[in-house]
Amino acid sequence: MLHGPDTRQRLIAVLLIAALLPILGQLVRLQVLEHSQHQSEAETLVRRQYALPEAPWGVIMDRNGDLLIGNVPVYDVGAEINMITDTVIAASVLAPLLNRPEEELLATMTLSESAETLVWRPLTNHVPPETAQKLRELNWPWITLSPTWERYYAEGALACHTLGFVNADGMGYGVQAFQLRFLRGGSLKRVGPVSGDTSPMPDELTGGNLTPYPGTDLRLTIDRTIQAFVEGALDQAIVDYNAVGGTILVMNPQTGEILAVASRPNYEPHRYAEYAQNGETMLFLDPAVSIAYEPGSVFKIVTVAAALDSGRVDMNWSYHDLGHLEYGGVPIRNSDGAVYGQQGLQGILDYSLNVGVATLSTRELGADLFYKYVRAFGFGQTTGIELTGEARGIVHLPSDWDWSDSHLATNPFGQGIAVTPLQMAMATSAIANDGVMMQPRIVAERHYPDGRIIPIPAHELGRPISAETARAVTEMMARSVETVAKVAQVPGYRVAGKSGTAQIPTTGGYDPQQVVASYVGFGPVPNPQVVILVNLDRPDVPANMRWGIHTAAPVFQKVMARVLTLMGVPPSDLRAGP
Amino acid sequence: MSVLWQQKTHGVLKRKEKMQRLLAQLLLGVVVITTILAGIYLTLVASNVHTARRLWAMEHEIANVIRDNQALITEIARLSSIPVLQERSVALGYRPAESIDYLYLGEP
Repeated sequence: MLHGPDTRQRLIAVLLIAALLPILGQLVRLQVLEHSQHQSEAETLVRRQYALPEAPWGVIMDRNGDLLIGNVPVYDVGAEINMITDTVIAASVLAPLLNRPEEELLATMTLSESAETLVWRPLTNHVPPETAQKLRELNWPWITLSPTWERYYAEGALACHTLGFVNADGMGYGVQAFQLRFLRGGSLKRVGPVSGDTSPMPDELTGGNLTPYPGTDLRLTIDRTIQAFVEGALDQAIVDYNAVGGTILVMNPQTGEILAVASRPNYEPHRYAEYAQNGETMLFLDPAVSIAYEPGSVFKIVTVAAALDSGRVDMNWSYHDLGHLEYGGVPIRNSDGAVYGQQGLQGILDYSLNVGVATLSTRELGADLFYKYVRAFGFGQTTGIELTGEARGIVHLPSDWDWSDSHLATNPFGQGIAVTPLQMAMATSAIANDGVMMQPRIVAERHYPDGRIIPIPAHELGRPISAETARAVTEMMARSVETVAKVAQVPGYRVAGKSGTAQIPTTGGYDPQQVVASYVGFGPVPNPQVVILVNLDRPDVPANMRWGIHTAAPVFQKVMARVLTLMGVPPSDLRAGP
Repeated sequence: MSVLWQQKTHGVLKRKEKMQRLLAQLLLGVVVITTILAGIYLTLVASNVHTARRLWAMEHEIANVIRDNQALITEIARLSSIPVLQERSVALGYRPAESIDYLYLGEP
């Protein structure tokens, strides 16, 4: 039948073509007709999100470069639970390693019947590298370890209000929350085809930079040694005077740098989630910047400075103190109810005469001038410090609906007006710094990952009073310490200061028992290097010992003495030479 | 077979053979060039893959070094934190200074 080579050749050729045709047909079907469908299926299989481990956030150092907040490498642990062969054994092995109850883990790792084939579930977060290593040694392919970071507070709760924290949602407190956009590091994520070990295909790497970007480091103005001493002094004062809480703020009046700021009650920043769970979020508020209080008599330095600077009074001005004064329907009395007779500005500060400052504001200054100075000293507005939640305080102005004449009589001695400790310290700094008010600041430098170091320059907020007025008020405050408030004197140094004992407003009046005892001062005089404000909230001591001069002033003295030593400021006699 | 026929057939055969040789050489050339180009391409791809893998591995290595570095920084911070320093100094017999004496050094 098949005769001759030609015929056989033709037959083979036909058979070969017949065999190739289905293959060709399939190729056309796969590559042409169903191309897009298969391409998307293939991409689904190989396309994954990939990234390098995220870079750390910026660290925070104190002014000397000592670490306050760093980063600890940790891992988030997850499981592809559909790949687990024996869930019971896996749960029993993992429970002690992950510090989770076995039953809970078992429930997490059990695949529900309705589940899809690929199910990943988180098992726990932030396990240390040692635990991660033990998990790796188990050699279970379904365990996933994602490297991440945990903030490390090197000094524990030290400066907790200032440092603050940031939660997983990017919300928080303190300098960390305020500077979040600088501090936050991270990784660049991309979606694309990956190989079997989830590393991106070569072409992907040419598509752009994937190197994680670290955060910017911050060097603060805080000195951790001063901070630690201040916190110890505050704790001791709270114990000594049975106070509910308190604040000590130390700042450089010439630069506005905050050297230390401590408040009680405090908290441990790394446990913020526990506090939040227990409803103790009020602890996160920094009393130094976020909570306003009526300052009491320490505010008299502002009134005296305003009166002098306005030119309405001079150093020879005097009034006759009758122990009381009525203005705007409100009776004003001296704190001890005594009559002081003829007194000048020095007497007002020495004996903290309410009637004296009320006379200055109502008779000499008037509302417009008085509140012009109150605003110029920064009250009723934020200072602009780099901390979250700064309060403005409460200043009733004559233009406000709720202002009354009585405010003009009570505000001059710090009643009916609310300020933050930071505002009070800033205003005092203006007096200490020849009338120039510097913006309080907490961040000294930003250290960018590319090596650039950008210092944050000191910023002048204004000049509420002249240099002459500032020196005159300083001199009166220093004399007051030397003659009346000797408890605030620091051996070897001349310091200036003013005490205050403020009643605490309640609904419909003032608490008859509780007070905020305070002292604000600076030194050495002349050329003050440091301003210190001490507030003790509700000291529970006998009523005659509750005054700021008896409680806050000794704390001020103790802190001032140590801070001047720590700052290397030699005593006045030594500065004068042999 | 006549001389004319012989000339004709031999001439045709020779020409055909020459053409076939030329075609074969051409095909061989195409195959060789294609093979060389494919080889170069595969070498480049392999090299690219290898470099990419190395690059990715090195990026991971850098990340790991950064993590180790941060761990060391925090460990140093822990060891030089104020509570630890105080504990160590007390153990070494130091105690807080009770008084401070300043010496005045006149300018030379």
